[in-house]
Amino acid sequence: MSTEKLSRRAFLKLAAASGSGVALAGLGPLSSIASAQDQVELTFGRHWEAAFRPRQAEYDEGFMERHPDIKINITYNTWADHNNVVPAWAAAGTLPDIIYVHGSRATPWAHEGIIIDIHDIVTADEEFNVDGMWEESVRLYRVDGRIHALPYDHGPIILGYNKDMFDAAGMDYPSEDWTMEDMAAAAVELTDPDAGVWGWDGRLDLGNGGGGFFTGAWGGVHMNEDETEMTMDTPEVRAALNHWYKLIHEDKVGASFTEAESFPNSQPFRAGVAAMGHIATWSTPSMRALANFEWDVAPTPMGADGSRYTGAFGSGYGITPTSDKPDTAWTYLREYLSLDGMIFMWSLSGRGSPARPEGLEVWLNSDPAPPNGHYFLEAMFDYAVTGPPFQSLAAAQVSNVLSTQAELLRLGESSVDEAIAAITEQGQAALDAVADDM
Amino acid sequence: MLRKYFPAISASARREERIFYLFILPWLFGLVVFSIGPVFGMLGLSFTDWRISLDNLQFVGLENYTKLFADPIFWTSVGNTLYIVVGRVVFGTSFALLLAILLNQKVPGIPFFRAVYYLPTVTAGVAVALVWIWIFNPRLGILNYSLKQIGIQGPNWIFSKTWVKPSLILMSLFSVGPNMIILLAGLQGVPKELYESAEIDGAGHWAKFKNVTLPMLSPVLFFVIIISVVSSFQNFTEIRVMTEGGPGESSNVLIWYLWENAFIFLQLGVAAAVAWIMFVILMALTGIQFRVGRRWVYYEGEA
Repeated sequence: MSTEKLSRRAFLKLAAASGSGVALAGLGPLSSIASAQDQVELTFGRHWEAAFRPRQAEYDEGFMERHPDIKINITYNTWADHNNVVPAWAAAGTLPDIIYVHGSRATPWAHEGIIIDIHDIVTADEEFNVDGMWEESVRLYRVDGRIHALPYDHGPIILGYNKDMFDAAGMDYPSEDWTMEDMAAAAVELTDPDAGVWGWDGRLDLGNGGGGFFTGAWGGVHMNEDETEMTMDTPEVRAALNHWYKLIHEDKVGASFTEAESFPNSQPFRAGVAAMGHIATWSTPSMRALANFEWDVAPTPMGADGSRYTGAFGSGYGITPTSDKPDTAWTYLREYLSLDGMIFMWSLSGRGSPARPEGLEVWLNSDPAPPNGHYFLEAMFDYAVTGPPFQSLAAAQVSNVLSTQAELLRLGESSVDEAIAAITEQGQAALDAVADDM
Repeated sequence: MLRKYFPAISASARREERIFYLFILPWLFGLVVFSIGPVFGMLGLSFTDWRISLDNLQFVGLENYTKLFADPIFWTSVGNTLYIVVGRVVFGTSFALLLAILLNQKVPGIPFFRAVYYLPTVTAGVAVALVWIWIFNPRLGILNYSLKQIGIQGPNWIFSKTWVKPSLILMSLFSVGPNMIILLAGLQGVPKELYESAEIDGAGHWAKFKNVTLPMLSPVLFFVIIISVVSSFQNFTEIRVMTEGGPGESSNVLIWYLWENAFIFLQLGVAAAVAWIMFVILMALTGIQFRVGRRWVYYEGEA
């Protein structure tokens, strides 16, 4: 992992290389030294784990060197708590200036006035290239067509595989022309109950991961385009879930929920006991650090009709209404979320998933990126879809229903028909309840 | 007329009274501002469409309550709560009493065992919950491993709709330390002469327990039950860390339902209504216990 500090000089070098150097250098007289009382304090609510905070500190040191009149003060929440802490801050009127916004929270938080509409600020800033971000990622933060936050990361979920296990079985690695049937056949072949290994990690993510790559491969969708109607009760979704259910509970070629719980972070693939698994760019650093086997990635297998599908999702940053210095907040975000800022924070660090294609290309050369990491890029360009729900005020409730039923399916405590019926009934009730407020 | 209630007192007594009120003032302030105030504040907010901001609140009458009563998950959470409360109170109190009796014996090493049984209480709740996740792990957990040694195939514990609530009750038995200490103190306060008299009358162990220990311990037992009911309703950490209300809704208790509505769904008005319903249920249960308590609680001072 790169540990270089983004000094003023290095930042300007990067900025100049991408054509934005003039603009960034023109942000202010860099040699000016502001006294402490002239400094404006910019407060943040972030969630980085301890290991990534030094990278953030490096970036912020560089930023404060470039902007001596701005002082940065960060409050770190845990990832698990951030989404609960922010509403409490909002209710108490103590929101920091800039907050981390998970893609699924943008619409409800914009509706509740936790983040402000920054559409005009963003579009008026000619030097900030919002069009250089994945449109799929910016889509998450558009509420009624207006930008309320900006993404820093966005990535797809594709197929990961354990090369050592394929080599030991004398099998070819997953290829670009693999279908779901090929994957199922390989999973059967690679499963060895006596050795305690599975062919596949058995994951089923019905939430923002867009069903992983399952339901879409059969042509199924969870909700309609504007997220007013659940569309799970279709032959396509039923076929996809039945295929998954058979693999887990009948063929037993993937880990069930209780089996997966036996491994750190519930990840049998990373633990080296599942030959294949779902993998996102943001999980590659932990794979590189913890997987003691050779691994790589492949495109998500194709469905019966030759189509390919996967879910993509991400997170961003927004400015809060309690901030009395939105212009200063934008000064920070426009650099932080520029191509150069993203390259420093997410590409060179190996963290992954920068929300700009060029950033993802640079990431491909980082240590955590697998040899065939370009398949992430291809997925983003060709077939990854930002998984619903995220546009409805009931997104949290619907996500809750989806994850609850996915868990019951994985536990074998619910049949496919029961799960679809429950999702349709409860999800639709949640959507209907907010229909008037949308 | 008021003189009946406030009889004339001397100047020194009045000064003493003033000092008394002065000393309790900080507590009184805390009670009003941080307990009673929020309780009634929450009642008001439960009749509004409160989501995040307190600005522009709209009065919605009983809408939040009707919404709740129409939600099947609310009723599931009520049922789950009562199941877990009854289980925790019945088994927890019985276990605490059993331990207290055992630790009240005059055998070597008793202080060590008292410390051991109290130990889980001084450990952080989140840490305890994380340890229990592994104890309950169906494949690797020590519980199923032990059962397997005696030829029993263990269940999926917290990963089973059927077993999750019994699992949480079982786990709660390891946190009975405070109740055990209170009951132990109660046991040690029972006059020895009463046991001696009972022995002279020919009472055996069971007769002494039933006719001496239990009646003399009843005020302490009553206190322990009241406190256990309240704390069982408020038990959040285990649900948050271990089950998040699942699998399905099988461990979704009222406090989790409240939290989900407040912090996940941002329906703070609805969450306020849940808080008030919990408050009413707790007050009603406590009232019932006091009423029933008159029949079985023996206060020596009133005899």
